[in-house]
Amino acid sequence: MAQAASSQEQLPPPPASEPREAVQPPATEPQQPPANAYSVPEGSPSIDERLSADEHRVESLEEQNTETKNDLSALKKLRFSGYIQSRYQYQEPLDDTGTGGFSRFTVRRGRLKATYTGDLAQFMLQIDAVPAGVTLRDAEATLFIPGTKQQLSLTMGQMKWPFGYEGPQSSSDREFPERSRVVRNMLPSERDRGAKVNGRYKFLRVSAGVFDGAGTDSGTTQDNDKEKDIIGRVGFDLKWIAGGVSGWYGQDLGKLPTDTFRRAYDRSRLGADLQAYFDVVPLGGTSLKGEFIAGRTYGAANNATHLDVPAHGWYLLLVQNIGLNDAVAVRYDTFDPHNGQANTANGDMPGADNAVDTLGVVVQHHFGENLKVSATYELPMTQVVAQASDPKDNLFTLQMQARF
Amino acid sequence: MKKTLRSSLVALGLTLLPLAAQAGTVTVKGSDTMVILAQRWAEAFMKKNPSMKIQVTGGGSGTGLAALQNGTTDIAMSSREMKEAEEEKLRARYNTPPTQFSVAKDGVTFYVNEANKVDTLTVEQLKAIYLGDTESWKAVGGADAPIVLYSRENSSGTYVFVKDTVLGGDDFASAAQTLPGTAAVVNAVSKEKNGIGYGGAAYAKGIKELKIKKGNEAFAPTAENVKSGKYPLSRDLFFYLRNKPSGDVKAFIDFALSAEGQAIVTQVGYFPVK
Repeated sequence: MAQAASSQEQLPPPPASEPREAVQPPATEPQQPPANAYSVPEGSPSIDERLSADEHRVESLEEQNTETKNDLSALKKLRFSGYIQSRYQYQEPLDDTGTGGFSRFTVRRGRLKATYTGDLAQFMLQIDAVPAGVTLRDAEATLFIPGTKQQLSLTMGQMKWPFGYEGPQSSSDREFPERSRVVRNMLPSERDRGAKVNGRYKFLRVSAGVFDGAGTDSGTTQDNDKEKDIIGRVGFDLKWIAGGVSGWYGQDLGKLPTDTFRRAYDRSRLGADLQAYFDVVPLGGTSLKGEFIAGRTYGAANNATHLDVPAHGWYLLLVQNIGLNDAVAVRYDTFDPHNGQANTANGDMPGADNAVDTLGVVVQHHFGENLKVSATYELPMTQVVAQASDPKDNLFTLQMQARF
Repeated sequence: MKKTLRSSLVALGLTLLPLAAQAGTVTVKGSDTMVILAQRWAEAFMKKNPSMKIQVTGGGSGTGLAALQNGTTDIAMSSREMKEAEEEKLRARYNTPPTQFSVAKDGVTFYVNEANKVDTLTVEQLKAIYLGDTESWKAVGGADAPIVLYSRENSSGTYVFVKDTVLGGDDFASAAQTLPGTAAVVNAVSKEKNGIGYGGAAYAKGIKELKIKKGNEAFAPTAENVKSGKYPLSRDLFFYLRNKPSGDVKAFIDFALSAEGQAIVTQVGYFPVK
């Protein structure tokens, strides 16, 4: 537009032979550039120069965009995740007078995890923020052994014990609100400070390490003895079926009533786990999982509550997906707190070390990818003798889990 | 109280009963390398089955596999094999192992500008270039000019394939510029005379494809070389499902693997699996 206006202004006079009307503007209207026309002053850059300048500007923007993308690419290695498990729980009164039991809201878990994964190293920190306080759950420094494509790694810090299936499994993935009774007793807090090697080769899975042994629920931030515990699992994963055997050997210092001084007692576990996945029901996938653990010296609070006591237990879990968003699960678990010891009675209450079986049912629904709601009903059945009766301790849990 | 709880559980169970999946619509999401191929399949399939609707979108293999996990796609397209962590997440969520279908073959092609006199490189030379150890074309028989690296975003299956197969798991040089699709890489290389990039064969138009030297022979990413396995950078292109296929999803996969579907693979520029 600007070019047209200026060329008309500078139009040379026509040759005499040409008809004047063809080039001369009408005499009544003086030649004016249109109101919206640009005027190009003398010495201004040409169109080509301006195009070239614009191209450079675009290239500059492209470079800035690339730089930004490169910066963002580095940030992609940093990942934040977490979940909150909020609950309403109802436990029936222990007897007909209405004593005992509860009806309460709780925040069971409030996890926030930061993971930075590079080619050779991984940083992982997880905290748990709940009404009782904020605690450190995991603090892991991992080295991926070079040349192994991150299939072999060494981790030091505070981490989960490499034992069994349900212990290391994330609570956000589990169908039931809590782990089975045997796992809660044999692997209290599931975590400890130590170092472990993690390896994968084709279908084989190996994880083993050296740990303080007392766990993070021991109430101390440092181990109370020099004895280290060796814990590991050798497993396999064939997609539709997976499993493994786990072992734990260590010692715990403690004093039984018969001891004059503290002495080292064996702390050991043996476990086997199996998970099978089927796609036979048209409604959705089906899984059957089971685990058996037997061990000696167990329990929270310095592991001294059941010093040198042998115990065992197992669970069986059946999960049926119904479509994309729903699932139903049934779990039966049993735990004998003292192998070979006969069940006892304390008046009309069962003895503290009587075996307990628990039947649980859970229905869960996913609202999109971030929210899961589950309703669980659990019926603990404590074995009884004589006049003792099974306590009324059935538990209903309604849980909302938000995860990102 | 027990009765109340029982009634509550039954009511909740009934409320949470699953909604039947929308019949007649199949969503396909993932690998940008496979988008054109899947769109062609979808067009041909819908022409034969007018009541069916196939929705195809890209975003990268990682995005498609995440969508499969989140339940927002029926089929995930991926130009790399599913990672163990992704597989474990799917299995934990849906209680069944995912199903994998190899639906086509592709040769990952390295492109240079048409003006570049280099036309053959070894995998080792490519590795040195993309790790940043070789910075001049002169070192590999070209002009005395700096090498300009173009790469893909890390959600891309092609990125993962090159990282694993060419770089041996090491990280790309920081100088490599990441671009949001193979078409963008091709475009950039066609404009930058010292550029090098990579992508699927289907996009390799208007620029020069490098031959890959193995031993004393150099192999171009041709159909014969990819199918025979002589071309060192060939790979499978996959469809992933949460479980075994059924209904509309099965019908679409059957079509993709049929003679007609595999003919489309060839038309688009990839290589059939059958």
